[in-house]
Amino acid sequence: MTQSRKRCVVLCPGRGSYSKETLGSLQTLLSPKLDAADTFRSALGRPTVREMDASPKFRSSWHIAGENASCLTAGASAADFDQISSNLDIVGVCGNSMGWYTTLGLSGALPFNEMLRLIETMGQYQKGNVLGGQIVYSVVNEQWQIDPSKVNLVNDIVDRIPDLYWSIRLGGQAILGGTTEALQEAMETLPTVEGPRPFPFKLPLHSAFHTPLMLESHRQALRDLSDLDIRTPSVPIIDGSGKVWRPQACSPTSLLEYTLERQVIDTYDFTSMIRSALRHFAPDHIILLGPGSNLGGALAHVLIAEQWQGIQNKADFITRQKEAPFVLAMGREDQRALVTQ
Amino acid sequence: MAVNRASIVDSNFIQHVRALSNDTPVTEEQRSREWSGLQGWEIVDLFHTMVQSRHLDIRARELKKTDRSFYTSGSSGHEGNACVAKAMRHTDPAFLHYRSGAFYLQRSKQVPSVSGVFDVLKGIVASTQEPIAGGRHKVFGSVPLNIPPQTSTIASHLPKAVGAAFTIARKNRLNLNSPDDDSIVVCTFGDASSNHSTACGSFNAAALSDYQNLPCPVLFVCEDNGIGISVRTPHRWIEQRFAPNPGLKYFSANGLDLLECYRVAKEAVEYVRKTRRPTFLHIKLVRLLGHAGSDVERLYRSQAEIESLEATDPLLKAASLVNQLGLMTSEDIERLYESTRQDVLALANEAVRHEQIKTAEEVVSVLAPLSPEAIRKEATTPPHSEDRELFYKGRLPENERPRHLAMILNRALGDLLCKHPEMLIFGEDVGQKGGVYHVTADLQSKAGIGRVFNTPLDESAILGLAIGAGQMGMLPVPEIQYLAYLHNAIDQLRGEACSLQFFSQGQYKNPMVVRIAAYAYQKGFGGHFHNANSIAAVRDIPGIIIASPSNGHDATLMLRTCIAAAKINGLVSVFLEPIALYMTKDLHEEKDGLWLSKYPSFNEHIPVGEGIICTEGSDVTILSYANGLWMSLRVAERLKAQNIHCTVVDLRWLNPLPEELILETSLRTGKVLVVDECRKTGGMAEPIMALLAERAPGIIVHRVTGWDSYIPLGDAANLVLVQEPDIEQSILELVKGEQP
Repeated sequence: MTQSRKRCVVLCPGRGSYSKETLGSLQTLLSPKLDAADTFRSALGRPTVREMDASPKFRSSWHIAGENASCLTAGASAADFDQISSNLDIVGVCGNSMGWYTTLGLSGALPFNEMLRLIETMGQYQKGNVLGGQIVYSVVNEQWQIDPSKVNLVNDIVDRIPDLYWSIRLGGQAILGGTTEALQEAMETLPTVEGPRPFPFKLPLHSAFHTPLMLESHRQALRDLSDLDIRTPSVPIIDGSGKVWRPQACSPTSLLEYTLERQVIDTYDFTSMIRSALRHFAPDHIILLGPGSNLGGALAHVLIAEQWQGIQNKADFITRQKEAPFVLAMGREDQRALVTQ
Repeated sequence: MAVNRASIVDSNFIQHVRALSNDTPVTEEQRSREWSGLQGWEIVDLFHTMVQSRHLDIRARELKKTDRSFYTSGSSGHEGNACVAKAMRHTDPAFLHYRSGAFYLQRSKQVPSVSGVFDVLKGIVASTQEPIAGGRHKVFGSVPLNIPPQTSTIASHLPKAVGAAFTIARKNRLNLNSPDDDSIVVCTFGDASSNHSTACGSFNAAALSDYQNLPCPVLFVCEDNGIGISVRTPHRWIEQRFAPNPGLKYFSANGLDLLECYRVAKEAVEYVRKTRRPTFLHIKLVRLLGHAGSDVERLYRSQAEIESLEATDPLLKAASLVNQLGLMTSEDIERLYESTRQDVLALANEAVRHEQIKTAEEVVSVLAPLSPEAIRKEATTPPHSEDRELFYKGRLPENERPRHLAMILNRALGDLLCKHPEMLIFGEDVGQKGGVYHVTADLQSKAGIGRVFNTPLDESAILGLAIGAGQMGMLPVPEIQYLAYLHNAIDQLRGEACSLQFFSQGQYKNPMVVRIAAYAYQKGFGGHFHNANSIAAVRDIPGIIIASPSNGHDATLMLRTCIAAAKINGLVSVFLEPIALYMTKDLHEEKDGLWLSKYPSFNEHIPVGEGIICTEGSDVTILSYANGLWMSLRVAERLKAQNIHCTVVDLRWLNPLPEELILETSLRTGKVLVVDECRKTGGMAEPIMALLAERAPGIIVHRVTGWDSYIPLGDAANLVLVQEPDIEQSILELVKGEQP
């Protein structure tokens, strides 16, 4: 027996995905979900997603700020989701970091407006309240294979430096979160890895997400969002620990607890999440929603680590992507066409 | 052409689902309602697991059609065992049989890093990426799920399950567990294999433990489908046999009814957890799709019977349940069933891309890893001196006069008990009596009854305890009272202990050193059972270490080495102690005291596989061990008077053999006598002569061996055993160049 329809896992990117390169990309999209997002923002008296996207110039302090970036990212992702061809079977949805909220909205675990409320509320906690931060470090070799010595190095400094934590295990990238002092010490300790943008580097206007430093956000969320209309998803979703939540077969209460507590204060394990997506669903493609296509590299790292479909290194991945792409990034015009047609 | 029952069972399900009434409205609220202790969503989750398990069976058979599957014994009809997994923690060790697929899948849902369906598929297609056996076998096993692997076809995993349960409790008593560890052990098996003597011994051992108020928190789960391949289990036999079993609390559940099965399983699990008592859970279910893909069920079951069993398919009942409880519409159920089919298909398509093992070297690479340097370091590290002072109350063994083998071994065991708090010594009579030959004398009073204790007279149970204890992190040193007694329990070493690293790529280990009083030469006393000289059954076990010291000095060092190999590499050693040399003091003449030894220091070391040249001569090389070595040394000494000078080699290790030493010393004289006190067939002369034939052709090799016989009583014993005149005559023949 063969499968005729392509099986796809959809990946929702996190907050850092919207950038000056993606500015203006939403203007021509017809999307009921984007409309809903704009209506929601208007009602709050905040700039709508389309308004922000229409801005003539990318302004970091405005576009990247927590209270705007989250909604902008989720709106863009949702708009892309609306464009996925009905010829494709979506067998699972997952998201990186803030993309988890988008995941809940796109999978039916939250009504779309409830997803917006969640994102808006969590984003507002960040307004003028950036707490600590995140830095990025590379733990792969030139072939994009995980380098255990680099992982050990990161583990060592996380163990050694107070208030420094694994924030996101992002394939071949270690996103570390911590206090300003902890991050400073980490930046000074980690040997520079050369590249177009040398590692380690700091993510602007990001708090120490997914670390115990976010305890207060979690507490606030419990106060403000315990009434979220959460339910079981209509399609399987995979969380930031790799756990699969299946339609009708999971507890909405536990899903809310995970959303408002564990993933807020614990490491977000993108690597395990993608590994689970592969090992539970064996998709033909992973569709990376916009904005942008920043997660393509991290996805490649996990595929290589899994030796998925024989992909063992960077060259294999690039060849595969050229010949018959496994990762379809909607932020890239060529691959987008394969998703929308 | 054989009818494909898998496709019929598959279609039956779809038809059944489409005919469901949908009378109860499906609402979000239902998911949080509770039935038999399960919330609505948990019932759907269990149902999903059952569907996954079914599709795995269907897929295995589909793959077999194109020779891409190598295992089709499935779990169809047994899917209710998912309820047992649901009722337990994933940290409770589980020893599963081959129809517990749904248990495995349900438990895998508790650990996000495990993808149960993919893992099983990888096992079915023998993928090298299968996480437990790496393509060597299809087994249910997983480290993160606490499921040690085994083949489980003949209930031979039950003794170790009892051993593991006993050890959990024992570790609590010895303060080697966290004090709040209330883990329990579960093992599953079929109704047919419950008749196996190994299974019966395990029920007995658990019940006997309980009778003595020794905790043994094991849950035996009998998945009773009423048939073993084609042999029917008599109606209600399991119930008759086990319901009234003293020391084994009995629970019974209908495995075709998800809610009942969960409720009873939960009750049984809680009972074991709370009382720490062995318990028997009888789950009645059916076997669908025959024994395996190759089984033509129609040969022994009527069409009507097969169809009536298929009508009781637990999936049909579970589908009706989730529909009637308002948890799923028929469309929901069909969607779940079909999407799961697609998931399994996609994963199977992925799994068949994987490589299988390509070389024999890869197959065996995991069998018995050996780290000589780490072993040396471990073996030569003494216990803390304060602990020794306390243990020996100031009378340290190194200050004693030279002693015979039994006494020196006693001191060696004492030091090892001192050094390794996790070490246990157990067997028949090893406690207060100190063993038949006093090797364990006083160890119980010194180390405590919790660490040195008697067991029932059941060698399978003894070795099962060793396996279970080893898997639970202990360092077991079981004693088998005589070599002949090993043979009724040999499968525990052959099929279980030594196969564990094979089935788990070394992820699971059951380190142990099995001490056995061995061989003959007891002056005609005791007959066969106390003089056994057959080691064939041990010799070909892959990965096993066989140590056969001949004197106290070597025995001490070799025991330390075996313990270190167990600790470092998780290896299984058999330690053969020559009974006749236990108390031997002299070698050439009375009162020469040449067979006594001073207690060796911790600086000395004998690596695994290292033999020794005891005496050198240029005429003949004698290769021997144990009693044969002792006799050879005597003969060699006497022959000096005839100007015949022999090199005598003590092999010390029978597996691995000291091959290079054998070759080197044999080539030196060109004339070799193998003195093998074991039987001619399957004894040690065979591999040694084969080695010499292969690698040193041209040299002359004779052998003297025991006869292929049981050992009789009285003087007749000597007729079938190697005697010194036999050795002497063979040497003379060799020297004269005569053919044997």
